[in-house]
This record gives sequence, C-alpha cells and structure tokens, in this order.
Amino acid sequence: MGKIGVYVCHCGTNIAGVINIEALRQYAETLDDVTVARKDLFMCSDSGQEQIRRDIREGLVDRVVVAACTPRTHEAIFRSVCESAGLNKYLFEMANIRDQDSWVHSHDPEGATEKAKLVLASAVGKARWLQPLDDKFVEVTDAALVIGGGVSGCFAALELANMGHKTYLVEKDPSIGGVMAMLDKTFPTNDCSACILTPVMVDVAAHPNIELLTYSEVEHLEGFIGNFTVTVRRKQAYVDWQACTGCGDCAAACPAKADDEFNLGLNQRRAAYIQFPQAVPKKAVIDMNACINCAGRKIGTAPKINAKTGEPVLAPCEKACKAGAINRSLPRDAGGELLRLNVGSVVVAAGFRVMDKHNFPAYAPQSPNVISALQLERLISATGPTGGALLRPSDGGKCKTITFVSCVGSRDERHHTYCSGICCMYMIKQARLLKEKYPDLNIYMHFIDVRAGGKEYDEYYTGARRLGINIMRGKVGGLQTIPGDRLRVLAYDIDQLESVEIETDLVVLATAIEQPESSQKLARTLGLQLCGSGFFRELHPKLGPVETASRGIYIAGCCQGPKDIPYSVSQAKAAAAAAAVPLAQGRVRIDATLSEVDKELCSGCGICEPLCPYHAITRVERGGRKYAEINIAQCKGCGVCTAACPSDAIALHGCRDEQILAQIAALTA
Amino acid sequence: MSITLTKEKITATVKIITEYGGTGIFKCVQCGACSAVCPSIKAGFPVLCRLLIKKLLIGQLEEIIEEPSSWACQACCRCSEVCPQGVKPQEVVFAFRRFQANELAISTASTTSLIDLHATGHAAHTTTYRELRAGVGLPEQPPTTVSDAKGLQEVQTILENCLMGELGFY
Repeated sequence: MGKIGVYVCHCGTNIAGVINIEALRQYAETLDDVTVARKDLFMCSDSGQEQIRRDIREGLVDRVVVAACTPRTHEAIFRSVCESAGLNKYLFEMANIRDQDSWVHSHDPEGATEKAKLVLASAVGKARWLQPLDDKFVEVTDAALVIGGGVSGCFAALELANMGHKTYLVEKDPSIGGVMAMLDKTFPTNDCSACILTPVMVDVAAHPNIELLTYSEVEHLEGFIGNFTVTVRRKQAYVDWQACTGCGDCAAACPAKADDEFNLGLNQRRAAYIQFPQAVPKKAVIDMNACINCAGRKIGTAPKINAKTGEPVLAPCEKACKAGAINRSLPRDAGGELLRLNVGSVVVAAGFRVMDKHNFPAYAPQSPNVISALQLERLISATGPTGGALLRPSDGGKCKTITFVSCVGSRDERHHTYCSGICCMYMIKQARLLKEKYPDLNIYMHFIDVRAGGKEYDEYYTGARRLGINIMRGKVGGLQTIPGDRLRVLAYDIDQLESVEIETDLVVLATAIEQPESSQKLARTLGLQLCGSGFFRELHPKLGPVETASRGIYIAGCCQGPKDIPYSVSQAKAAAAAAAVPLAQGRVRIDATLSEVDKELCSGCGICEPLCPYHAITRVERGGRKYAEINIAQCKGCGVCTAACPSDAIALHGCRDEQILAQIAALTA
Repeated sequence: MSITLTKEKITATVKIITEYGGTGIFKCVQCGACSAVCPSIKAGFPVLCRLLIKKLLIGQLEEIIEEPSSWACQACCRCSEVCPQGVKPQEVVFAFRRFQANELAISTASTTSLIDLHATGHAAHTTTYRELRAGVGLPEQPPTTVSDAKGLQEVQTILENCLMGELGFY
C-alpha cells in the first residue's frame, strides 16, 4: 500500500476558527497508511506547497491528501504541486473541510471537528486506491466566433483578429454597432459616440482576419472546445449585397413605412432601408413585413409588361437602384441561407435591451411625452428623428421643463431586483448635454440615490449640480397627464420630508437593462446557463468573469450583466484573450477524470448513449460487433453512463468502484 | 437633541410592529416612492410611510407614540401599490396605529372619529348622500348601522367592552 501524506490547512481562521486543527492532524496520524500528517496556516502558500514537494522528493509520501477549502478553486493548485515534485497529479485527493464543514457548522465547533475527521478519513480511504492517470489532448481549429456586433463584440473580434486568428463576427441586425451606435455622447468625457465607434466598426469590416456576417443569427452549435461546428442563418435581405453601394436611393423611392427600430419608434423608416447613416456594412435590406409589393412585384414573379411601351413595370426600389442590386424577379428563399463554420472558441457578446415604458402603468405610458432614456438619446442625436433638437414627441413643440425618473424596473422586486448600474450616469450625462445646449431648460432629476462609482464619475456628477441641474432624493411615485400634453410628476423630497409636485413637458424614464427572451434560446443553443436575473452566468464571479461552465465559450458585455462602455470594452478584450488561449496552444488538455469503455465487457446495448447529457457517446461497429465509444473532448466525467451500464463496462476514472467503496467504508466505520 | 441608537430598542420596536402586522418593515430601502403618492403627507401629516418606517427602524417607538400622522392615513393603499420592494407601508402604518391604540395613545385629531364610530357605526359620517341615493331610486339610508339599530348596538357593545372604552369618549 501507499505512503499517504495528510496536510491540514488552517485557511487563516476560516477553518481554524471552528475546527480543532491539531486534533484533526493527530487523528490523521492514526489512519492506515498515513506516513506524514502536517498542518499549515495556509497550505496553498509558498511554504505550504514547498513542504508537500519536499515530502514527495524525500520519498516520505506517494499519495497526497490536503484537508482544506474546496477542490473548486484549489484542486488544480495542489495537483500541480504534486506534478512539480514528480508525482502523478491524479495521486492527489482533497478533503473539503471549509466549504462543506467549517463554514456551514460555525456554531458547532466540536461537531465540525468530528465531521472533519470523517471527511478526512474518507479522502484518505480513497487516496489508498488512487491510480496514476494521463491527461488527454485534442487538436484545435484555429478560428473564433464572436456573437454580437455591439461595442463588446467589435472589440472581442478585433483583438482575436489582431492576434492572428480567423474570426467570424455574427450580428443579427444589418449593421454592427449595437446600442452604442444609437447613443449621442458618452460619459464621463462627452465623446461623441459615433465619432469614437464608427472608426472601430470600419476597422472590423476591413480587417483581413475578420469575416463579418451581419443580418445573421446563430442557429445551432455542436462540438467542444477546439472543435465547434456552428450553423449560422444569413437572413434574406432581398438586396444583392455584392452589388449594393449603400447609396440609399431605394429607401428614398420606397413608399411603404414601418416603425424605425434604430430610432426606437420615434419616427418611421421605409420598407427598403439602410439601418442608420453610418452603418457598417452600409447595405440596404427590404423588410418584407412592411413591403407592399409595389406594381404587383412579389418576389420571384415576372413583371407585368406595359401595353403601350412594351417595357416591364418595375417596383420603385428596383427602378431607383442604379447598381442593379434589387431584382424582384429572382426567386429568393425567405429563410435566407445556412452557413456552417468550424471554430475553436466562441465569445458571446449578445448585448441587452431596455424595458419598454408600457410595463409601468403608474408612469403614464400612454403619453407620447413619456419616453425611455434610450429614446432621448435618439432625440438629442444629430442622426435622430429631430436632427438633435429637443422637441416634444406629442406635437414637436419646445420643452421648458424635463424630468428624469430613475430606477424604473430596476431595484424593484416586481420587475428586476438588480441595479442596472449605468442609469444614474447616463441620465446625468443627458442632463448635462441638455443644460449645455439649452441653458434655460428646467431639469429635475429624481434618484433613490446617485450611484457614480467609476473613474471620474463622481466628479462628473458634482459637475451636474454646479450646472444648476436640480437633483432630488426620492423615488417618483407616479405621473399624471394634465392638459396641454403635459405631465404632473408626483415626487417626494427625502431631505425636506415633503411630497413634491412638478409640472413638466417631457419625462424620461431610466428603464431597466434586461435580457430579451431570445437570450434564453441562445443559451439553450450554446449550452450556457443563465443567472436568476436572466443574464449569462460566468464560471466564477471573481476569478472566471469571462469564462462559462462550457469550456471554449466565453462571455462579454451586457449579456453577462449591466455595464457601461469602459467595462464592456475591458471585458471584451479579456474574453478575447481567454478565447485565444486554446487557439494559440493548438491543442487543448482534457482532464483524465473521464469515463472509459472496456470494449471487451461492452455488449453494445446502447443504454448509455441517450443518457449522456453531453452527447459524448456514440455506438460504433468494428470487427463485426457494436460497442459504445466516448468522445473524450465532450465527456465531462459526470458518471451517468458508468452508473447505468448493466455490464459494468464503463469506468469513471477518479471515481472507480473501489475508490468510492473505500470512502463509504471510512464514513460508516 | 440627538437620538441614541441601541440594538435593544431597535429589536423591540421591530418586533412590536411585526407582531401588529407590519411584516414588510425590513424590506424598506427608503426610496420614498410611497411618500410621493401619499395623500395624507400632502395634507400635512409627514410621519407616514417612508419617514414612519425610518423612525421605527432606528427604534423610535415610545418617542413618537403621540404622533398624529398615523391617524391621518386614509388606507388608500397607493403606497403599497407603488412600493418597489413589497414593504406594504400601509400595513406598517396600521401596525403602528394598533400599537398606539393599545397604549391608549390616540390622537386628539381622532376622537371625533371615535365618537362618530360609536354613535353611527362609521368613523366618518355625513348626511349629504341621502339626496343622491334618493335621486337614483335607493332608500335614503344605506343598509348599514345607520339604518340597523340592532347592528349599531352590536358595534357599540364591542367598542364599550374594548380597551378604548376606558377613555370615556362614549
């Protein structure tokens, strides 16, 4: 039998504050095959690690058990300690006496110490049966996929491309740019959003390593880190993008109208349209839901012939297009086309949406003069429906008074309990921009409290007070419509202990950032988890903020949680760096704690195949008989197949029968 | 005058209010939406909703026992409708009022209501409705204690036998 070294960690006071460490160490010495039992204030510190290495090198131990925090964060650390001292890293076992003991039994030190002895005995029991294992490796496709072409997706794609990796950027809209392209200016420096973002969008489109797939959505993803196969649907634009020059003549000629999504319904666009003036790629699409098929020109039908001239009768869009990009006679598949991409890693930067005002009946959503903050961005943007003039949506009249209402749908258990994080700052920005442009404008802002925690953010906020913007503590209770399309704000001043009523021309609601329903579908497609709040779940909130539970898939931007532009860009670059690691390595290491089929024992019954949650098992036929085969890159070592196999033909390395039975024996001794 | 905060006072106050039905008091984040829509705050009774909860959460209970604001609550429940945290401020106001009533700390502003309650079975009672009711073909008196002597007597028996009867209003 082996020589087992036991190392008990104080974890500062995390463990030692509850569990009697010395009693546990002495107990370890009484266990069979334990040759060394030591303790340290922090076993993962330099000195703690070196102690383990020394014992291995001196031949005192050939199995290592560390009783400490949790394998979730520290298993890999101690495994590499073993490896660096020349011991197979799978001859290590961890006894979890912090997360599963001292933290949960902090009121019962004696009971916790007794439990720690059992947990340790179980780990030692298992360690006796550990076997050396070898890591596996799989080759990697040197290409990346970025989902979402907002500012996060653009920067993730640029970083990956600059590192030399082929990168596909998939965006659902006709143009990249996302929400940032809709903004007027950006806090805390008041940079013009279009001026700083448009060159980035152009760089993305021009980069030799980036293949831009706009007006496209990811339909399906299969495979595993290093080897994903992605199915992307390119939506039907009804315009030949190879020929389209982005002149906009089709839009000018088109008589059919629909709400302009880019201006959030504040005006209308045509059925044939370019998403916005600085779109990249600048290509037209025809929205078939709005198209009225002028001149009976249904797609894929021959034109009527003018009886007098003998000329075909064309639709205005066709006639207007000098580049010949619109030919309604051509049959076009309404479903667009499907593309298959092979990539090694994926960055999800799917963005967010803001809540619609109609969710809030107390805030008079029926009034056109109640708008969302994103609508205000369009209203004050030079490319917006009023060319940047602050005019009331109801009648195009001037505004004398404007009111900002914070926390609409955020910090509210009826909608979203989280803080949307950026509303305080963008409202202050909007108020400052308006005050600079219209010094006589009366601005009232109502906050529960002002959250301005970023770099140079509080200075930006105090600057707003100095400009004479009225800031009041207290959440707005409701809005009433009053004659003249005006609104009465029912507010409260916490500092004065008085209710306050303000008559105003325009009310801006800071509606919450949230995930659209479509992100649930995307999460299912990609096999990712969502948090309770609906955002994509990261692997670890501190140490794995861009990784996910699915290796090879990374997240960035507001799909992970509400955040501003600096934070989004930082996270995008971090996600790109993480996604580039497997591509740069060329092959990825796979943990050896996987299931393995004994071909001699396997009867080929196939029970395991549909049970595998990771689709890792296929039945193959070789030498005239069938047996199950496990794709090691997809296997997560969950053990479902091992438990289900009637022939006992599947072993789960690291959790073999004799190892588990030894643990049970120790726990029940 | 400064307020001295003690854990004991805060715990005792919250316990009393919770037992009297103000169970949401700990959920309050002091946003003030309740107070923005409260008709009684507009009418000049400031210690309602947010401010009442704030005072209770720092253990001010005996100190505000004579506070008349709570008796001005109209029970319209708009506070509970707009509250983003599910506090139900109106329940807290009523819990405080139950505490005041049990301590016989009833505001003088409310004595008329109590006398009316004893006399008619209604805390607020007018006679202006008679004509309106007759105009739409209804009996002049509604089918309540106003027109039901036996019912009124039952209300009076209850009032005279509960703690408030000792105040000698009736």
